Amino acid sequence: MKRVAITGLGVITPLGNSVAEFISGLEQAKNASVYIPEWGKYKGLRCLVGAPARLENEKLIPRQNRRSMGRLSIFAVQAAQQALKDANIPQRSLSCGRLGCVIGSTMGSAESIAEAFETLIPNNDLSLLTSTKFFQCVSHTAALNVGQFLGITGTVMATNAACASGLQAIGAGYDLIRTAQQDIMLCGGAEGLHPTVVGSFDVLFATSTGYNQTPKETPRPFDAKRDGLVCGEGSGIVVLEDYDLAKKRKAKIYAEIIGFNSFGNGAHVSESNREAIASCINETLKRAKLIPREIDYINAHATATIQGDQEEASALRQIFGDQVPVSSLKGNIGHTLGASGAIELIASLIMMEKNLIYPTLNLKEPDKACQGINHVMQPLSKKINILLKNCFAFGGINASLVCKRED
Amino acid sequence: MTEQEVIKLTNEVFVDSFEIEKSKLLPQANIFNDLGLDSLDIVDLVVALQKKFGVTIRDDERVRTIRTLGDLQQFILTIKKEIGK
Repeated sequence: MKRVAITGLGVITPLGNSVAEFISGLEQAKNASVYIPEWGKYKGLRCLVGAPARLENEKLIPRQNRRSMGRLSIFAVQAAQQALKDANIPQRSLSCGRLGCVIGSTMGSAESIAEAFETLIPNNDLSLLTSTKFFQCVSHTAALNVGQFLGITGTVMATNAACASGLQAIGAGYDLIRTAQQDIMLCGGAEGLHPTVVGSFDVLFATSTGYNQTPKETPRPFDAKRDGLVCGEGSGIVVLEDYDLAKKRKAKIYAEIIGFNSFGNGAHVSESNREAIASCINETLKRAKLIPREIDYINAHATATIQGDQEEASALRQIFGDQVPVSSLKGNIGHTLGASGAIELIASLIMMEKNLIYPTLNLKEPDKACQGINHVMQPLSKKINILLKNCFAFGGINASLVCKRED
Repeated sequence: MTEQEVIKLTNEVFVDSFEIEKSKLLPQANIFNDLGLDSLDIVDLVVALQKKFGVTIRDDERVRTIRTLGDLQQFILTIKKEIGK
């Protein structure tokens, strides 16, 4: 099997539209949650807080590329451009057949899907639908648009596993390079913020509803006063590369991926399950040939739901006890859903580079059910040789990835 | 609707939907070669014109013969006259 290096990073996040701006926001302990009064028009929507990203410079994408892009695809294209530039990948590589992309999202552009139905339903009239709406709405919209815009002729795929989409995409790219099917992969996830997306969590009582007037106090991963998640948006894209080829061209290597796994829980579509989470993590460690105490940092999924956080904490406690530092970035950027795995992995790689762990924002008093693990509540200086990133999705789909520092 | 009104509204569609500079919107401009529209854009052009002028032209065979902006404006004028009769 080939080794796989991460050589480029790109993000659009609720805290900023570059890795530098995003990290600066984390270091300043910023929270991107804002009250969104316009959502009040939706009857039954109790959560009126979201973490929006800035849509900007979209007209730099030529119209004939942009017309098939909804909000999330624009984010994905911009993050992919950043990642390619960061990795210094030459233009000619894009269309050589050895470079591909795997980009996931929970669904197609939620805004575009809503617009399509708003156009279609009042008069049952299909003739008013534009030709490119379909390409904005399909589940592989981010992958197809990045592939088309960049002229990618290698593998183009989408992973659609809700909140595990981004991490699954990186896992898929890792496998494509490990098995020598591709040399370079652009991988990650993207998501657009829209009230219909928030509503899907709201009907399940999974959103934060008690902080509409004090949005900076939510979400609160692992905290005793947490009351649910806050939806965010953006995109995270990493460049994965055949390790030997990256070394040969003297590329900067952020880390090496040494293990990935994604397991289903086979038990419940929406309830997290500590046994299934533990099983997913243990299999990841096994594939990476690691024992738990070799992990130096865990970037948790922890979205601040009552049930999800306690199940993840329980699984982490069972495997790692209170030895390994754990933090969640959802308190800063909300839950960017399909993008979260990639965005949060990118932050974790910067933590690895800086020997500094960013704490879980808004975690003031760990809930009793979430205790017994090593919560990072203040910035923590620590050398990270190996990190673990978790993502858990509706549908009972879990994913974990392990990265090793480049020596 | 006068010819000038049809020209103005048609040009608005090209500016708003296809981001084409007003200076390029000449009657002799070929919709494909000069204005850069492709097959997907034509579908969207028809949708936009239907909304703008309140007409139904999607299945009108005459649409297929249109090549220039001037052709299009004349076609819209004809359609509006037919509706008015």
